[in-house]
Amino acid sequence: MKRRRFIKNIALGSLILNFKPSLFALKNFPDLAVIQGDIPGLLTREAVASLGGIKRFVSKGDIVLIKPNIGWDRTPKQAACTNPKVVETLVELSFEGGAKEVKVIDNPCNQAKRTYLRSGIAEAAKQAGAKVLFPNKHRLKKTPLKGEWLKEWLVFSDFLEVDKIINVPIAKTHSLSRLTLGMKNWLGALGGNRNQLHQKLDQAMIDLAAFFRPCLTILDAYRILIRNGPQGGRLSDVKLYKTVVAGVDYVAVDAMGTTFFGINPYDMPYLRLAQQKGDGEINLDRLQIEKRTV
Amino acid sequence: MKKERSKKYRLIQGLRILSQTIFFFLFFYLLLGTHFTGEDYIGRVEIFFHFDPLLALSTLIASRAVFISFLLAAVTIVMTFVLGRVVCGWVCPLGSIHQFFSFIFKKVKLLRPKDTGDKKLAWKYYLLIFILVGTLFALDLVGIFDPLSLLYRSFSVAVLPALSYSFEASLGFLYQINIASLADSLAQFFENLALNATFRQGFFMGAIFIGILLLNLSRERFWCRYLCPLGAFLALISRWNIVKLKIDQEKCIKCKLCNIHCETQATPYPEDKWRSSECVYCFTCSSICPTSAIEFPVAYVPEKIESVNLDRRKLILSSLLSVVAVPFFRLSPSLKRASPKLIRPPGALAEEKFLQKCIKCGECMKVCPTNALQPALNEAGPEGIWTPVLVPKIGYCEYYCSLCSQVCPTGAIRALAVPEKTKVKIGLAWVNKNRCIPYFLGTPCIVCEEHCPTSPKAIKLVKTEVLRPDGTIRTPAAPVINTDLCIGCGICENKCPVADRPAIFVTSIGEDRSAQNQLLLPLLKEDSEIFD
Repeated sequence: MKRRRFIKNIALGSLILNFKPSLFALKNFPDLAVIQGDIPGLLTREAVASLGGIKRFVSKGDIVLIKPNIGWDRTPKQAACTNPKVVETLVELSFEGGAKEVKVIDNPCNQAKRTYLRSGIAEAAKQAGAKVLFPNKHRLKKTPLKGEWLKEWLVFSDFLEVDKIINVPIAKTHSLSRLTLGMKNWLGALGGNRNQLHQKLDQAMIDLAAFFRPCLTILDAYRILIRNGPQGGRLSDVKLYKTVVAGVDYVAVDAMGTTFFGINPYDMPYLRLAQQKGDGEINLDRLQIEKRTV
Repeated sequence: MKKERSKKYRLIQGLRILSQTIFFFLFFYLLLGTHFTGEDYIGRVEIFFHFDPLLALSTLIASRAVFISFLLAAVTIVMTFVLGRVVCGWVCPLGSIHQFFSFIFKKVKLLRPKDTGDKKLAWKYYLLIFILVGTLFALDLVGIFDPLSLLYRSFSVAVLPALSYSFEASLGFLYQINIASLADSLAQFFENLALNATFRQGFFMGAIFIGILLLNLSRERFWCRYLCPLGAFLALISRWNIVKLKIDQEKCIKCKLCNIHCETQATPYPEDKWRSSECVYCFTCSSICPTSAIEFPVAYVPEKIESVNLDRRKLILSSLLSVVAVPFFRLSPSLKRASPKLIRPPGALAEEKFLQKCIKCGECMKVCPTNALQPALNEAGPEGIWTPVLVPKIGYCEYYCSLCSQVCPTGAIRALAVPEKTKVKIGLAWVNKNRCIPYFLGTPCIVCEEHCPTSPKAIKLVKTEVLRPDGTIRTPAAPVINTDLCIGCGICENKCPVADRPAIFVTSIGEDRSAQNQLLLPLLKEDSEIFD
């Protein structure tokens, strides 16, 4: 009899747990928040608010890692790296959500010190209280990625030893993947001969995004790079787009991002693959999108 | 007879050691600060060089051009003229290192100083003459022997890289024994110092430097005594200085302790044998004298001023040797036809002018954020040994950086503002289609294009039909170079995934500084269109 009761309890318990989100959720959150306006920090704050506020993503005592794109020795106006104000606001939000520690890190293509300083990200994030870390090759760890194609790679263990990861890419053109948005941003978490991943980039991006699985993706489209990506250079390569997108479904965030460049998400092979694999939704009509101007 | 050492001179000796320590750390601080600190423009971290009258003089003669910063050398000249070679004894960081090692070697009894009468003191004068006569023929060898060039080069290319390696190794050890948090913060600290750790000739530079330090096993301050051409130069102008040694004959017990311990063999005893121009005013003699017999009264005029006996025949011989050496240095083909590997930093003067000015100090190699600048071995001929060449496989020229041009102490690399620098061509990239992944395997790879820093990009991807090894045909996007837009920075070569011999590589052709090393007629260049 004892055993039967035990099984019954388990069944009941799991039934309750199964319905818990719908039972306890106060509000149905949108899939994507697309916020437009003049102040990058405010856009970020509002985008997170639309999704239910930072407390939905960050819990008290969490160690949060924020992964911007700090890939290039470029200034914010050149739109090759994530807007420092967006990063700064996310650090602030994470602390407001109760984070114990916030780390900001990327493995850049140019000298780390130059990219960190000239992008303005190091200073902005530090000001907000984050630990800004240069990638440290001693912390590289051969990590099983369990991807369909990418089985293992050297990953900075900073990404493995945190409670929450927030991905903060910037929207840019890129010759191979056409665009570099959120999923391409994960190459910055890797060491080793990552340049070889370009030989099968679409699959690599999908496997990496599924591995890192950020709790939140914020796409910085305040300034977007419309040509000569992913570095740009001239100010004429940059378009002031004044938008920030937030979402939990990282595939959907990238799908939204493609439209800023006049591209249909279905024309991006990696997004179609990701959708087929069930990682996320790229049909924008099927998504609940909150669009606001602040 | 009262036996007591002079308190006054012991104090002065202490001050001298303090001064040496301060100047050594000033040197070290400025050298460590010679890296990208967050600002586009770096302060005058190379200022030590401008106080060096030997560099000033030889650069002036060799290049037949005045470089304004070298006016500071007048300070050293005046000081030496009035006070003697105090710069050698109190300021020169290389001198301090030698003295420090001599001290250590004496302490461990590896060096037993003695009162020696050897004649080698004259060597440095012959070397000086050799160098200066060479500069008359625009052959600038001063950088090889100048103490500051030697010191900076050795530290930039060997000592700091070796330290950096040791840091890395000890970090690895810290991680192994699980002191990760300490190791993490140390790692961040070292990354901030941006120490370049990879140098092709690092081993040899290190060996030369250590060799010169080991000379101190034979004689105290061996380098300063016998070899230093700057010391010789300063000695020549110090003859009339106002601080002369005086021995109180009544107190002197003729123990010759002063001669034994004289750091530069100036033989204080007897007074009339003291070589004023060899004295570096370390005040060792006056402070170790057991009876305080030695003094340095200001404005004391000794009866006779002894100096190093320079053999006139040897002087003429060393001048002749220099004259004979010049053509040998010019036998190299490097001046006749450009070398593909001789990629000079942006702002470098035309090769001939560059060689007349470059003092091989390694400041540019230290400051380069990507470790790209390396000491030349044979790329620039024998004259150009240890001058900077950019080796793209090791590092590339960072697009928005002009630090090397700013720290060059002689203007061999013309100081450039950052916007100006981004326009300077230092070479041209070439694709080796036999090794390039898209061209040869039909597999996508865009790494060079992605990293190309110019806007519009000098590397374009063009759909190209490729016969793959298995016989099938594919049309991948493959890189082509726009020769007008390419500045030769070398990041494509540096990042190319074909690791051993990159499938895209930079050679010096097209460099702005040369009229001959050009691919196309200038007229044709104007016709060709820049495509976006």
